[in-house]
Amino acid sequence: MAYLAVTGATKQFGDFRALDDVSIAVERGEFFTLLGPSGCGKTTLLRSIAGFNDLTSGSITLDGSDLRKIPPHKRDIGMVFQDYAVFPHLSVFDNVAFGLKPRKVAAPEVKKRVGEALAAVRLTALAERMPAAMSGGQQQRIGIARAMVINPRLLLMDEPLSNLDAKLRIELREEIRDIQKQIDIAAIYVTHDQEEALAISDRICVMSAGHVEQIGTPQQIYGDPQTIFVARFVGTLNTLAPGAALGKLVSDLRLPADGIEAWAARPERLELAEPGQTAPEGAASLAGSVTKYTYLGREAHVQVETEAGPLIVQLADPGMGGGLGSGRKVSVVIRRDALMGFDAAGKRVATEA
Amino acid sequence: MPRLNFWTIVAILTWLLLLGLLFVPVGSVLLSSFYDEAGNFTLVNYAKFLSEPRFHQAFLNTLVVGFGGLIGALLLGSIMAFCISRFVIAGARFVSLLAILALVSPPFIGAYSWIVLFGGGGLVRQWLRAVGINIPPIYGLTGILMVFAFKFYPYVYLMVSGALSNVNRSLEEAAEGLGLTPLQRTFKISFPMVFPALSAGGLLALIHAIADFGTPRLLGRGYNVLATEAFALYSAEIGSNMAMATTISVFLIAVSMFFVMLQRYMSRRNVYHGNMINKPIKIKLTGWRNALAHFAVYAIGFLGALPVIISIVYSFRKTSGPVFQPGVSLQSYERILFNLADVVRNSLSFSISAVILIVIVGTLVGVLVARRTNLNTSLLDGAFMIPYVMPGIVIGIAFIAAFNTGPVVLTGTAAIIVLSIFIRRLPYSVRTTASSLRQISPSMEEAAISLGYSPFRAFLKITVPLIVPGIVAGGMLSFVTAINELSSSLVLYVGSTMTMPVRIYLLILDGDFGTAAAMSSILLVLSGVAVYLAFRLMGRNEQALL
Repeated sequence: MAYLAVTGATKQFGDFRALDDVSIAVERGEFFTLLGPSGCGKTTLLRSIAGFNDLTSGSITLDGSDLRKIPPHKRDIGMVFQDYAVFPHLSVFDNVAFGLKPRKVAAPEVKKRVGEALAAVRLTALAERMPAAMSGGQQQRIGIARAMVINPRLLLMDEPLSNLDAKLRIELREEIRDIQKQIDIAAIYVTHDQEEALAISDRICVMSAGHVEQIGTPQQIYGDPQTIFVARFVGTLNTLAPGAALGKLVSDLRLPADGIEAWAARPERLELAEPGQTAPEGAASLAGSVTKYTYLGREAHVQVETEAGPLIVQLADPGMGGGLGSGRKVSVVIRRDALMGFDAAGKRVATEA
Repeated sequence: MPRLNFWTIVAILTWLLLLGLLFVPVGSVLLSSFYDEAGNFTLVNYAKFLSEPRFHQAFLNTLVVGFGGLIGALLLGSIMAFCISRFVIAGARFVSLLAILALVSPPFIGAYSWIVLFGGGGLVRQWLRAVGINIPPIYGLTGILMVFAFKFYPYVYLMVSGALSNVNRSLEEAAEGLGLTPLQRTFKISFPMVFPALSAGGLLALIHAIADFGTPRLLGRGYNVLATEAFALYSAEIGSNMAMATTISVFLIAVSMFFVMLQRYMSRRNVYHGNMINKPIKIKLTGWRNALAHFAVYAIGFLGALPVIISIVYSFRKTSGPVFQPGVSLQSYERILFNLADVVRNSLSFSISAVILIVIVGTLVGVLVARRTNLNTSLLDGAFMIPYVMPGIVIGIAFIAAFNTGPVVLTGTAAIIVLSIFIRRLPYSVRTTASSLRQISPSMEEAAISLGYSPFRAFLKITVPLIVPGIVAGGMLSFVTAINELSSSLVLYVGSTMTMPVRIYLLILDGDFGTAAAMSSILLVLSGVAVYLAFRLMGRNEQALL
């Protein structure tokens, strides 16, 4: 049995079903992320594990014991909050030491463990300061040190970086990842930021409207999405407009058409070629003209109006040139394995030959 | 879960408290207005109210002084708020202090000080007559409205200055960029932004003006309002007419309620949460504009604080009986020390008892309302609006009506005065506790729980230390209102439970202004100390005084 197992979790708030038969399993030392748009139930699930709200039905076990029978303050689960929840009337040191008091840790031991925790989040120099005047990044470091100093059985993080600016977010997520691996603890991380989820996780659980869409490694989630929701939510997605042009493309590529409602492709899997150029083996092309060119530094997005609707093509390393002017005739090259097919329910249909 | 039970008990006790101290007394008022002396149901009191020209006049007069006070307070308060928050005014903090003085000055003393200056034999009138200018004495409506304007402007000033300094300057700059003139900007952007504060401050002025009966009593000279009629009917030695007094109380409640609802309705959509990225700046005026702004601010400030200044000065004047003599002396204070020490003691012990009750109950109920939001606590929150709009004189009459006979007889006791102060000030305490709790993120307590503290210990260790300064400061401010409370005590006191404001009122009626001034000064010092302590604890937050 998995270290943390949530089985058939359902949570009903009045008429609203926040969680609908959710099951996840997290292993020891694993970094597990709950990813989804706001209102998808990810925070509800996290708070059920922490014990701040109880499930309507379902079970949660940690290391074999039934968590739902244990009150939240006895679960021994560290938690990091979106709004930091740093105690403003206690110094940095006392904030971190706060959780050691009910554990009856001796004073010298407290000093040692708090010192280590503060060193891990690089706050040693600020130990005696009050947190009120500190930056968001520093306050969240206090929150992380405070949660891990108690050596919890599980570490929960509820969008810990969403109130920080972009640069700090990247810096701190690397630190969180390093600390988690270093102390080798099972962690559940909630975020709505797909890039953050891909960067930090061992496995990701994508949720929508209270249910699980897909659980898998970052590579599986991005490269092999099992539902159209996952494909759309993680990364950018081109959905081809149905019609004669799409029908011809599918038959040119000798892809199966049965039961497939929607065809989609990632921008970086598409290529641009001169108009009229014949497509290479295993690919087909669509004629079109450029409508927009967006320069993003390390890449550029070209929007092309084709017979199968507008498509975005990503160009790697666009260089110093002026890019492609509007109205420029091009052809979009689509390789057979770039296309993903989804059925009427939004489920992925296998198209491998 | 024991905690759930604890809060359920708090909720039940709070409802019982409201039932005993609010619904039953106020209900008695409502009911007794429907019965005649023999105890038969009748509408005769209402018929009398509607048919007698005397009551029509009082009703009309109440609306006139209410709106007059409102307009005066709005005018003075907005001018002062605008000048202080938008222009560089030398000594702005001092002027704010003058406004606070006007706000905490003991009641009635204002009216009397204006009489000293502008009454029949008023000092200023005599000076002016000496240089050949004759002005009429300020008795009647003019006097009442002047006193109200200068007594109640701080409500508007404190509310609006807070709102004005929170208007994001980018909004005005955006309007400027769109080509609006400064005048258009003021009316189309700034005015709607501060309207909720303006109407809230105006409402406070209006409610206080309607409820005030000391000022019309002393200055009115026959200009009767509902509050004075109710008191006269209640206190008349011969032909005291309780049923008619309660009928008038019902109308007084109705008028107050109507305006509270109206204000809520008018500002229902106007809640703006400005981001404070671009704070307003203060402009440095020059030349005559600067002089005018300074003159306006200081004139309003000093005129508002005038009663306080006069009573302090007069408290040190030599007296012979009630007559002032030239020279300085401590006679008035000596008289208080030797003859009226029990009144001071009463005031202190009643106020302190009331404040202790207010702080304990207010904190518990505030936590209940803020943290355990459900239908029950929302109703509770709403019920606490009732004492907020209840004129003091009505609470007084209601307590007499409820506790004179029946199972609980409290008439003539200290308890009845303490409880009347308690129920009137409790809503403020509940609201300050609830709002300070709402500013503490619930995740703070959850963090403590996840670290191994039981919910109750998490509350004690985290939430309580964070709200205690606010609670103590709120207690200090409740003390200020409690010790200055007059209108309900005036109905409820007996010889042995007389308080300082009641004594001051009686002294003024007796014409012993020296002693009244000295007692007012003592009251002022006590209030000042409490305000100072409150500001030390929570920072200088003038709006907390409202």
